[in-house]
Amino acid sequence: MRASLQWLAEFIDLPAEANLVERLTLGGFEDVEITATGPDLSEIRVGRVRECTQHPNADRLSVCKVEFGDGEPVEVVCGAPNVAADQKIAFAAVGTKLPDGTVLKRAKIRGVVSSGMICSSRELELGDDHDGILVLDPDAPLGAPLPEVISGSDRELEVGITPNRGDAASLIGLAREIRALFGGDLRAPETDPPETGPAAADAIRVEIEATDDCYRYVARIVRGVRAGPSPGWLVAKLAASGIRSINNVVDVTNLVLLEFGQPLHAFDLAKLRGGTIKVRRAVAGEKLATLDGEARELSAEDLVIADSERAIALAGVMGGANTEVGDATTDVLIESAHFHPGRVRLAAKRYGIQTEASYRFERGVDRLGVQRAADRAARLIAELAGGEVATGSVVAKGAAPTVTEEIRFPTDRANKLLGTALSKQEMAALLERVGVRCASSDADELVCAIPSHRIDLQLHQDLTEEVARIYGYDRIPVTEPMGLLRGVERPRLWRMAECSRDALVAAGLIECQTLPFLNADWLAALQLDADDPRGRAVRLINPIREEEPLLRTTLLPSILRLVQQNRSRQLGRIEVFELARLFRADGAPSRWGPSLPEESLGLAAAIAEREERGLWEAPTLLPLFFKLKGIAKKLLDQLGYVAWFPSASLPPYLHPGAAAAIEVGGVVVGSIGELHPDVASAFGLDVGCAVMELDLEGLVVLPQQQVRFHKVSRQPSVRRDLAVVVDVEQPAGEVIEAIRKTGGKDLISVELFDRYAGKGIAKGRTSLAFRLVFQRYDRTLRDEEVTKTTDRIVKMLAHRFKGELR
Amino acid sequence: MPAGVDNLERLEEEACREIAAAASLQALTEVRARYLGKKGSVAEVLRGIGDLAGDQRARIGQLANSAKRRIEMVVSERRRALERGQRDRTLGAERLDITLPGAEEPRAGHLHPVTRVFRDMVEFFTSMGFSIEEGPEVETEYHSFEALNIPKLHPARDEQDTFYVEGGNALRPHTSNVQIRTMTGRTPPFRFIAPGRVYRHDLSPRHYPMFHQIEGFLVDERVTFADLKGVLHAFGRHLMSDDIELRFRANHFPFTEPSAEMDYGCLLCERKGCGICSNSGWIEWGGCGMIHPQVLENCGIDPDRYQGFAFGMGVDRTALLRYGIPDIRLLFEGDLRVLEQV
Repeated sequence: MRASLQWLAEFIDLPAEANLVERLTLGGFEDVEITATGPDLSEIRVGRVRECTQHPNADRLSVCKVEFGDGEPVEVVCGAPNVAADQKIAFAAVGTKLPDGTVLKRAKIRGVVSSGMICSSRELELGDDHDGILVLDPDAPLGAPLPEVISGSDRELEVGITPNRGDAASLIGLAREIRALFGGDLRAPETDPPETGPAAADAIRVEIEATDDCYRYVARIVRGVRAGPSPGWLVAKLAASGIRSINNVVDVTNLVLLEFGQPLHAFDLAKLRGGTIKVRRAVAGEKLATLDGEARELSAEDLVIADSERAIALAGVMGGANTEVGDATTDVLIESAHFHPGRVRLAAKRYGIQTEASYRFERGVDRLGVQRAADRAARLIAELAGGEVATGSVVAKGAAPTVTEEIRFPTDRANKLLGTALSKQEMAALLERVGVRCASSDADELVCAIPSHRIDLQLHQDLTEEVARIYGYDRIPVTEPMGLLRGVERPRLWRMAECSRDALVAAGLIECQTLPFLNADWLAALQLDADDPRGRAVRLINPIREEEPLLRTTLLPSILRLVQQNRSRQLGRIEVFELARLFRADGAPSRWGPSLPEESLGLAAAIAEREERGLWEAPTLLPLFFKLKGIAKKLLDQLGYVAWFPSASLPPYLHPGAAAAIEVGGVVVGSIGELHPDVASAFGLDVGCAVMELDLEGLVVLPQQQVRFHKVSRQPSVRRDLAVVVDVEQPAGEVIEAIRKTGGKDLISVELFDRYAGKGIAKGRTSLAFRLVFQRYDRTLRDEEVTKTTDRIVKMLAHRFKGELR
Repeated sequence: MPAGVDNLERLEEEACREIAAAASLQALTEVRARYLGKKGSVAEVLRGIGDLAGDQRARIGQLANSAKRRIEMVVSERRRALERGQRDRTLGAERLDITLPGAEEPRAGHLHPVTRVFRDMVEFFTSMGFSIEEGPEVETEYHSFEALNIPKLHPARDEQDTFYVEGGNALRPHTSNVQIRTMTGRTPPFRFIAPGRVYRHDLSPRHYPMFHQIEGFLVDERVTFADLKGVLHAFGRHLMSDDIELRFRANHFPFTEPSAEMDYGCLLCERKGCGICSNSGWIEWGGCGMIHPQVLENCGIDPDRYQGFAFGMGVDRTALLRYGIPDIRLLFEGDLRVLEQV
């Protein structure tokens, strides 16, 4: 809601601007702002003429010493006859931008340097008076910006109104609010029209068919008007509220809408057929050309105003072109009505139009203000456009809306809710300020009569808010809550997610968060099996990008695109992870309810092959798979699980020769592997990339490994290194396992420390070097014992793996 | 004065000179042998006193022994100095070019800024006894709107704000659905927070379709608006600064009554007004209020017996301000050059 401050001042005396803005802001209005509508005078300041002397070289000029707040007083040449010492004046210093856009420069006038200008109202574009300078109030604070001290330039108040406070979307509404916050008396405009014409009821009948959609319809008639341009003051008032002037009749309806918040519509009576106004639902498919030039096909859900033949307005939203008031109009029917908020909103939404009228109807107008607005409009039309107001109104009534007229207000509960200790009298006084009349019943209760415009006040809690709002939220004490002390258990999945983040960050990965939206092509690029549930995704009706209408079922596309984008940013090291919800659309039962998709917390990580950018000492180059396997192992270890990495159940988007499942206790909970080259190229990846996926929800239900102490030995250990040449195809994991078994319980550690093929090793063979550590708890091992065991291992290796010692 | 006395003093002086001049341990050993060895000069003096009278002999013997001790002391001092010098030379030879960059392994990773702020927030509230609750991101209209007292024809239901999915559900536009799910079927007292991800159909420099919220709820028989102010003041101090100023403005939410919006005094300009706070001195922080009796009732809680507060705020803006990131999009576009700064 926007309105001229001068206009608002017609309704109530206004406090200082800064106060007004602050109290309205704290009192529940959003983005409250006062702006100048006229010329920008913010750089012009209040100055004071300290001395005024005759110019040495010119009879009509004076030389003034002007002070203007900060800085040294300056010397200014002035030609105005009315300038005198001790005046407060509007001063433009050197460098000031004047309303006409020029920037003031220092000038030499008849031999005297003038450092600034004392302004006339014409120079400030406030009026045409050029005979002399603008002399300000002697109390104007020195140095203050001019707009703060003059009322000549109009200023606009703009307030954002919350959806519950439709009653404030008018001049009278704002004035009521200002009265509530600051006190003062309301001055309501005159409403009584001079009824000199024949009875309105003779000219028109009004019928409400849709009685649930229209509570009240008041029609007034003014005959013999001369539709034409509106006077300047009317144009200016509307303009300040952002409404364009149409003609004096329409402008009056808009003016009254702004004054009272009651939307009105003017019909050209001559164009109305059958002398009848009907308030009814539209017939599906019925046509109406609205005033915005659109031909609309109506729905049976729409409420229309009709004459005996056709729809002539979309009720509460916009009038029809067929009954528009124009230059030729002489007789006018003014509609003032109370429509159902939901009905109006539905239509405004359906047709995507919001008008000043629909905005107010949607929020609910004062059910008792309908007549008053019709009267006011008739009076003003007769005043501005001439004509004769028909005697009486035609009034039709529909079903009364449910309203709260009285609330029993338990003041003790209000204090209990707010944490205040206000007396009943204090509360009553606060409520009276917003127009709620209070009577006392028993000790802790007020019986409150709710004014008809405050349809938002329905519960005693609503009155509590009014009390708090007017009292001031800032005056409510600050206390600490009391209650039972209770331990807080973080959900297990939450802790697991947090632990995963820490483990991956410790491994050097960067956490990312990306939008959950998927392109169907990205999903297809993963080449999922037909029965893979991830292939079916929840679809958005209104995606932000048309090409990304799906909710992700897997984090892979997001993370692969992220890798690709960072590649194109020429980053050499890309090691990332993300944790986010995944959405299933395969009808799997959801923990959240039968109609909802199942959601689970997914984790994915990706590491791309690193570009070695001029490191002064190269790190060892290990295939990506093993880097990620190490990270995965550590991660699961941190989470409390022993993981296995079998080469079974591999997803199709991984390299079949460089991938493994992640298995915990026989359950597959994820996978790691290098990306299948086809998938890599589908995502535009020009470097190797390994990915890990972990189903945290699958994991969280599995029992964690208990950390148990095992004793450490005080006996010395014996170390033996063993290099054995086996087939290159031979999985090393099996060899390690076999060594471990053969070594028995004295063999406490087997570590593969080298893998070598090439010179000195036969083709198709590879050398595996192991470090074996033997140790007992009870005694020192003898060399012969260890040798005996290693011999057994060597024999086993030869037998099972065709292993030859190197 | 017997000749031996002069002799000894001279010897001692010479020895000290030579010891000081010894440039290596080897040379020092030789000097020592020359004076203190079995055939050294001091021994020679001692050997020569056999001819002297008893009392003279005793005196010279005493003097020779003390000269011996003094020379021995000077020798060991010199030895330590030489050893120190030798170690210094060795260490000097082992000097690294410390201006070479440090090893990159293991390089530290980075938590997402939103995660960091979330942790900070969650830490505060769990320490106050609030439990952590979660809910679905795709939510029914009932849990996202109706149960929260947002009627079907409320502006918040407009399609431009909400992402709808096929079948009538929607991506939650706030975490308040968790309030309904957590309170339904439970008996107060309870206090919990609902941290999570939310979605609005909006893409502009100040808005992103995805962002994060944390909401908090405390329901009991006597929980007041004053308590709400107290908790939020404490939270503001924990999250931002001990000197934080809060301001509560009346406002409207369908799910609270009374309702308030809260602002905090801009920390950058100390409320003088700057670009960050749009020259107002205040930064919008979130919404709060006393839970609407209808919402309590929708969850099966008797509003005549129980009352409680609710608050909610964005997480992302706090992250942006905390790290000086100018644009919310930078948080979610995955540019690692951005994310590795935090």
